[in-house]
Amino acid sequence: MVRSITRWLSAIVFVLGAAAAAAAQDGLIDTIKKRGTLVVGNATFVPWAMRSKSGELIGFEIDVAKKVAEDLGVKVDFQPTAWSGIIPALLAGKFDVIIGGMSITPERAQTVDFTIPYSTSGQAIVANKALAGSFKRLEDFDAANVNITCRRGTLSCQTVQNRFPKAQMRAFEDDAQATQELLNGNAHAFISSAPRPRFVALDNPDKAFMPTDEFLVLQQEGFAMRKGDPKAAEFFNAWIKSNTENGWLKARHDFWFTNRSWAEQVTN
Amino acid sequence: MTLPRSGRHDGEPPARPRRLPPARPARARLTPVDAALFGLVALALAYAAYRVNDVLAYRWNWGQAFNFVIRYDAATGSWVPNLLLQGAAMTLRLALWGTVLATLIGVVMGLARTSTNLTLQLLSRAYVELIRNIPPVVFIFIFYFFISSQLFPAIGVDRLRPDSPILANPVALVLFGPPNLFANFLSGVVCLAIFEAAYVTEIVRSGIQSVEKGQWEAARAIGLSHTRVIADVVLPQALRRILPPLGGQFISLVKDSAMVSLISVQELTFLSNEVASTTRRTFETWIIAATFYFAMCLVFSLLFDHLERRARLVPR
Repeated sequence: MVRSITRWLSAIVFVLGAAAAAAAQDGLIDTIKKRGTLVVGNATFVPWAMRSKSGELIGFEIDVAKKVAEDLGVKVDFQPTAWSGIIPALLAGKFDVIIGGMSITPERAQTVDFTIPYSTSGQAIVANKALAGSFKRLEDFDAANVNITCRRGTLSCQTVQNRFPKAQMRAFEDDAQATQELLNGNAHAFISSAPRPRFVALDNPDKAFMPTDEFLVLQQEGFAMRKGDPKAAEFFNAWIKSNTENGWLKARHDFWFTNRSWAEQVTN
Repeated sequence: MTLPRSGRHDGEPPARPRRLPPARPARARLTPVDAALFGLVALALAYAAYRVNDVLAYRWNWGQAFNFVIRYDAATGSWVPNLLLQGAAMTLRLALWGTVLATLIGVVMGLARTSTNLTLQLLSRAYVELIRNIPPVVFIFIFYFFISSQLFPAIGVDRLRPDSPILANPVALVLFGPPNLFANFLSGVVCLAIFEAAYVTEIVRSGIQSVEKGQWEAARAIGLSHTRVIADVVLPQALRRILPPLGGQFISLVKDSAMVSLISVQELTFLSNEVASTTRRTFETWIIAATFYFAMCLVFSLLFDHLERRARLVPR
């Protein structure tokens, strides 16, 4: 009995080791080409990635990932992932790369490798008219009786802590809940990546307004990969560079971010 | 206090012969007090509805949310299931395979738990205690990020291509869902099953232990082997007794399946989150999701009611 268990265990350990060694040999790009599919991790963030009326993924990220795959000559496979677990999932090998509007931060760079930025955006703030309509300056939000909502695990929550350290931060699992809390009158403000706060204000002119049109923080987004694959980073960086120079990235970014001409793809 | 009322005060044994089932309790009737209670509940609900409508800044738009349940495809001119219905189907798949796998693991572990072999006892006891004393969410994360991502490559699951004939056929599509999400689905099922099976193990153990010692001894005395005693004498009796708690556990399994949305299994809760984030129709989406879960669990509990009644009719 005991001897057979030991034999089984050593067999399992051996197979695990062999699999790990095989995976380490090929670079990421070779693996992708051999497989014929680029597996991309992303999370729903309007308008980075969202669902069309027919349930398809659409958005800025989706366009970018599709073009990367096309240029590699492979198919693309999206793995929609809960945002708070997206980096662990990348590290666990659930996908090749995160193309998901991930802002480049020193903290994240300790666990993943970032490419050069392929887009620039910022954190914006939208406020509840009834609660914060009388606030004159942004500093008024930095008070102990002010509630500010954000999406957990995002740069938005860090922005709340850095810019409004005295305010009560309330983090939610997704943007929809954080927005609803603002509209329900339980929070004075909601901070999120642009352009979401502006859309909230536009959709609810009687309830919400934007205290400022300026970004609280500027940020840049990059693809995120597992550490230690310089060849893959080189490929993605070259791709971003060439598509920045030829204007493709800017054109797609403008399409998704400057207005909502795409809205009819999402709503009835 | 299960003693019949008549025997309690004078200390005499109950007059009724012991073999007969207890008399049916008098049929309950609704009194004015009950009517008043119903009225109060209705009032509370009406007030809640008023608050939601009047105080909550929310513009209801059910059409947009329903479109994500089922949509009209103009290209083919037919109605096709959209994300929420696809998610409900995924939840059903999780429930089906989770139940099958949890039953298998639970029965094996339950037998190990009651076996005379000390190694088996220790192993199954350790398993049950480990699972029962970790919060499910923590277990799911540990399992997903450390165990399944090591184990699945080893058994070759991640080498299964989405277009391989094993996955890309109509039967597999119904049973396992979209091929490109198979590895993810498998993690979800295994995770859920291992978690729920710990509770099934305890239910099975209690069922086996509830079978009187005399049954074991009698079965052994007429010359049945140990395996036959368990398979033909003990398990059938135990199964009949554990049906009610088992049913409750499987209903829990359906509800607990919402937890694997944390590891991005594309089931009802995960896709509801996606739809709510995209459309900002938060309440409509979650009310629809809740209705789906309610319907599934209700069907499950009716099914188990039926099984229990049938088990009672079978002569012992």
